[in-house]
Amino acid sequence: MRERGSPLFRRHRPSWSAPVELLSFGLYFLCAVLLVLSRIGHGAINEARNGLVDLSAPMLELASVPAIEARRAMDRVKLYMAAFDEVDRLKKENEELKQWEWRTKLLERKVVQLRALLNAVEEPALAYATGRVIADARGPFVRSALINIGRRDGLRVGYAVINGDGLVGRTVDAGGSVARVLLLNDLNSHIPVLVGPAGVRGLASGDNSAELQLGFLPEGVTLYPGDEVYTSGSDGVLPRGLRVGVVTGSQGAYKVRPYAELNSLDAVSVLFFDAPALTRTDPPAAADGLGALSAAPAETPKTATASATLPVAAVAPPTGEQAQAER
Amino acid sequence: MTSFLPALSVLFAVVATAVPWGLPADATFILPLIVVMMVFCWRAIPGAALHPAAAMGLGLLADLMSGGPLGYWALMCLVAATVGPRAGSLKESREVGIHWLIWTLMVSLLGVFGWLLASLYYFRWIDWWPIALGAAASVVLFPIVLYGLLWVRHGRIGHARATIFRGAS
Repeated sequence: MRERGSPLFRRHRPSWSAPVELLSFGLYFLCAVLLVLSRIGHGAINEARNGLVDLSAPMLELASVPAIEARRAMDRVKLYMAAFDEVDRLKKENEELKQWEWRTKLLERKVVQLRALLNAVEEPALAYATGRVIADARGPFVRSALINIGRRDGLRVGYAVINGDGLVGRTVDAGGSVARVLLLNDLNSHIPVLVGPAGVRGLASGDNSAELQLGFLPEGVTLYPGDEVYTSGSDGVLPRGLRVGVVTGSQGAYKVRPYAELNSLDAVSVLFFDAPALTRTDPPAAADGLGALSAAPAETPKTATASATLPVAAVAPPTGEQAQAER
Repeated sequence: MTSFLPALSVLFAVVATAVPWGLPADATFILPLIVVMMVFCWRAIPGAALHPAAAMGLGLLADLMSGGPLGYWALMCLVAATVGPRAGSLKESREVGIHWLIWTLMVSLLGVFGWLLASLYYFRWIDWWPIALGAAASVVLFPIVLYGLLWVRHGRIGHARATIFRGAS
């Protein structure tokens, strides 16, 4: 007969077996209560969540460093492996961009002249702050990220978050030093957009997958793969003209492929755009609890780019003619 | 210190779920399910102390960090903490294969339950594919995690491996 009395597999006798059933019942009940409170969005739950995330921010920031460095190292290795192809591609892209630069300068001059003729009011520049993603808070049902910019930097709930590629999402929770960004592909993300050169209105909604569903389009509208999608600003929260992505799919099942690589975010910028709707949902009184909360950050933001020219200016949608020509 | 090892190791895994690894959107279930699997394994290993309340607390921490429904992963961890010692107390389950089978069954049921619960929470059918992928990955990773935890507990797996695989050879 084989000896099976290894210390690893001794018969398990929990010392707390007597009250454990009652305790387990209590714990299950507590979980159910928490789920219900979380579903109805109880204020205490949100406050506790924000407080705890704020507390754990330094630990998360520290823990994310090796992962970010490892990701960068892998990116570098991939880049080295495809270095020659990449150089060729960049050369070609550079040539194209030079042509675009020339055209943009012409257009800029034309815009300035037209604005002068119309006596148009100057658009105010948007301030922004740039920070880093410190935690990939993408649960199975949530696509969000924690960034190291909080209310102390002037952040408010509802601000648009972008990176070099385009719109990433918007802030939904804000603590003193961290904020949670709801990514575009989250189930609860709905962005009013304009599509293509004609500026067709629609709603880009996340479904937790890599692409966004494009709905609420006018009856019988035809879109083309590659059509540019950008924010319409009609929700009164996000600024107009932020690049979102391009159209994919076909009639009846249009989708949007975001420009931003939402799975591997690193540096992101928060646009301090105080729309009236935003001021109502996150009034200054509430926001000032942890510092000044005006449209512009009170303290010096994390990069030297505060009050700089709106990055959106560089991501304005193409004109109808250009888009048509590209097609 | 040894009595805190299970909770500490699971805490480490919970923090790891929040780190920006750059995983694709379909793979978001894998890391949280590893946390649940660790709770299951710790509870199944005789003599390892991980109280159900601690398991639930760690699940709650995962909920807080993910920004998802509060109580969801707490509930999953609690289920794992309830089933774990029952699996560990079965005579036949002294072999790793039996543990593996129990985990396979459990994660399948847990996946269906989690999918239904999440669909109920959001009032819409949640995409089942990431859950299935996460469950499948957790089944594949089970022996690695189990050996890892045995190593954490004993500082070696040589003797444990011989004992675990005795039935399989």
